[in-house]
Amino acid sequence: MSRYLVVRVSQGLLTLLLVSILTFFLINLAPGGPSAIMNFQSTAEQREALTKQLGLDKPVVQRYAEWLGGAVQGDLGNSLDSKQPVGELLAERFPNTVILSAATLIFTLMIGIPLGVLAAVKRGSWIDRLITFMSTFGMAIPEFWLGILLIIFFAVIHPILPISGMMTAGSDFSLVDLIKHLALPMFTLSILMLPNIVRFTRSAMVDVISLDYVRTAKAKGLGAYRVFFQHALRNALVPIAAIVGLIVPILLGGSVVVENVFGWPGMGRLAVQAATNRDYTVVMGVTILVGAIVIVTNILTDLIYTVLDPRIRYE
Amino acid sequence: MKKSRSALTASIAILLIIALTLAGCSSNSGNNEPAASGGAASVPASESASAPAESEGVQDATITLATNADPNFNPWSPTGFVESEPITELLFDGLTAWGTDYQPIPALATDWTPSDDGLTWTINLRTDVKWSDGEPFTADDVVYTFNEIVLKKDLAAANSSNFVAVDKVVAVSPSQVQFVLKQAWSSLPNYLAWFAKILPKHIFEGQDPWNLTSFNKEKPVGTGSYVLTKYMAGQYVELERNPNYFGGTGDVAKVVFNIVPDINSQVAQLMSGSLSMITVEDPNLMDNLKSNPNLTVNEVSDNNYYWVALDQSQPRFQDVKLRQALLYAIDRESIIKGVLKGYGKVATGPINPMMEKFYNPNVQTYAYDPEKAKSLLEEAGYKLNSDGIMEKDGEPLEIDMPAGQYGTLVQASQLVQQYWQKIGVKVNLQVIDWNSYVQRVVSNRDYDATLCWWRAPVDPDILAYYHSNSAGTGNNIPGYKNPALDKLLEDGRKAKTEEERVKVYNDVQTMTAEELPYLYLWNPTIAVATQKNLIVPKTTFIVAEDHITEWKVLK
Repeated sequence: MSRYLVVRVSQGLLTLLLVSILTFFLINLAPGGPSAIMNFQSTAEQREALTKQLGLDKPVVQRYAEWLGGAVQGDLGNSLDSKQPVGELLAERFPNTVILSAATLIFTLMIGIPLGVLAAVKRGSWIDRLITFMSTFGMAIPEFWLGILLIIFFAVIHPILPISGMMTAGSDFSLVDLIKHLALPMFTLSILMLPNIVRFTRSAMVDVISLDYVRTAKAKGLGAYRVFFQHALRNALVPIAAIVGLIVPILLGGSVVVENVFGWPGMGRLAVQAATNRDYTVVMGVTILVGAIVIVTNILTDLIYTVLDPRIRYE
Repeated sequence: MKKSRSALTASIAILLIIALTLAGCSSNSGNNEPAASGGAASVPASESASAPAESEGVQDATITLATNADPNFNPWSPTGFVESEPITELLFDGLTAWGTDYQPIPALATDWTPSDDGLTWTINLRTDVKWSDGEPFTADDVVYTFNEIVLKKDLAAANSSNFVAVDKVVAVSPSQVQFVLKQAWSSLPNYLAWFAKILPKHIFEGQDPWNLTSFNKEKPVGTGSYVLTKYMAGQYVELERNPNYFGGTGDVAKVVFNIVPDINSQVAQLMSGSLSMITVEDPNLMDNLKSNPNLTVNEVSDNNYYWVALDQSQPRFQDVKLRQALLYAIDRESIIKGVLKGYGKVATGPINPMMEKFYNPNVQTYAYDPEKAKSLLEEAGYKLNSDGIMEKDGEPLEIDMPAGQYGTLVQASQLVQQYWQKIGVKVNLQVIDWNSYVQRVVSNRDYDATLCWWRAPVDPDILAYYHSNSAGTGNNIPGYKNPALDKLLEDGRKAKTEEERVKVYNDVQTMTAEELPYLYLWNPTIAVATQKNLIVPKTTFIVAEDHITEWKVLK
């Protein structure tokens, strides 16, 4: 088990290194440059001075080596734009993305698993088809459009929820205020996530409920709730846990768009702004952090298997 | 029965999906502005101030404005753009500011006079100004800001290229400075009102001004009408009235800038009442806002003109007949009607009609006339070849035209492409993201033709955009070189009286209309939308901010 962990973690680190090389060279060699330099009004003299100031006159390989040297010591460099340390910017934004993502994940699982179970149990019925149709629908909706639509409905026509941000400007922190601001972005992001959970739960349950022990449980006269939720679902959870691991990247990707529409001060917005402004160091910071999260989630998912199904052992 | 029901369900589903897709696409088209623009900011406009209604106001009101990204509080930072300017406009003062008639008015300076040879401006300063940390403001701050920040070439401060004519600034006494110029420059007071804010020497001395994040991102110290009280990164910036401000107080005690990256969300916030005022440049949004009964929409002109530049380092574009032909071929009225929904006027040259004194309407014009365009091309030696393309000496007239994804640029470029193709010019349009576009067009000058715009202070001095010296490296994007125009522009800077200036700039406009250094397209109309109970001077956002003490917040 511990040997397995060591292998997985070293594989993860190697992946991160490759991701960092690929990203660094891609963004540095892509057309364009930091927004300070790529200003329509700047003169050749200004562009030259700024290129030097930002250290971009050095060869890209040397710049990568310097970045990597800093990164292994925990220094991700300074933003080319604001000059703030990238680590600080990430520390400021990361928790906000975690709040949005965690709330979305919990909400999606709470809605998605029961719907998936229901669809599986009522397989072939109109309920099943309705649920499947709604999931396809959710998958097809562009989230920026859904976001704007929800804003128009809940904030302009029936102004009951705030449109943008994480808290009312100027007020002190309150949980109610946070939840109100969270409602629309969380719901939008959930619509994007829900199809994955519902469809996966449904197919996992369909597999399980045709097994003998479910028939036995039914034959013993157990209530439907106990049969499906306590016996069948327990076994269907292994593949569902796997999909949770897989949707974390989708969740982080979706939050990029949703954070921009709803002005949520998270990493997604930081990433978009950094990419637009060609803030190379911030792009690197966000990429490495997100990469690390995905890798850690995958390892954790594998470990959760062993808890959910004691028959699974890693040697 | 069952079959027909599922067929019905399927058709409803398909219809819904089509509707959603279409709605999704149209929503996207209005939403492609980058978080921070590469260009300069909002600018003064023409209409004079509307007299604020005499009505009972709310004292100590809070208003909420919007900005599209996290600001940099240092007004000279090369990474501060449109997201920062509305905030630094309130935190800092320049030596001059804009009047609602777009003439420079006193701010930190009380008066200014040029020397007889025009090479020195003597500027008297207020003596009652304090920085927000309590330190007194003196001539040393002005000297420091210019000599150590703006004029330091290595720093490449934003807008610093506007001040290339300034050699240095000298403190004569704590309340008087002199601007020593390399060449005479009659427009200095106008340019001093244009985002040229004064920074505190006691904070910046000995520091790298761009790396001083304790000031630039956390706690700016200014002389402006408002001071920063709270900044939550990614969320909002809160300003409160500066108790020591020298310019008096108005109704507005607190200004909150919500950081809202998406323009559609900004519009929704305005309509729901959670924003007090926004600037709208997207013509697609204007009618919607105008029909809203809770909003006042002021249409204002902007000192801004859109143009097509033809790369005049190539001999073929040095032929004025070709340039004129290409302008005759563009139906500008139709572009204004179609792309701008009518929010614009055909431009006749670089000087905006809003500068009534300087604008010269009696110049050569180019009403849409494709036949005339073709005959001019023929005069220039072009003939249609067997492929239907105009050709000269065996070389087909083929034009590479990069278009940057910003506002209406791509749509308008596509129309120009169609108009030119109608007269036998082959146009290769390449749509690229704004940042890469700037690199290609401005930095590498790698294009044949391109459509963009200039925005400048409300002043007829356009030397930076037309002088031969700035061809290839500076703001003379098309690289137009004409010693006669250079001379006129230099004369304009030397002119001592307004009468002299009017004469010079009339000649400039006659020449630019005949010569077409740029192909002039249109002057846009922009809108400032406010809640009905907020009365602001009828000007652009930034100029209105200079007059925030005059704003009225009605009950």
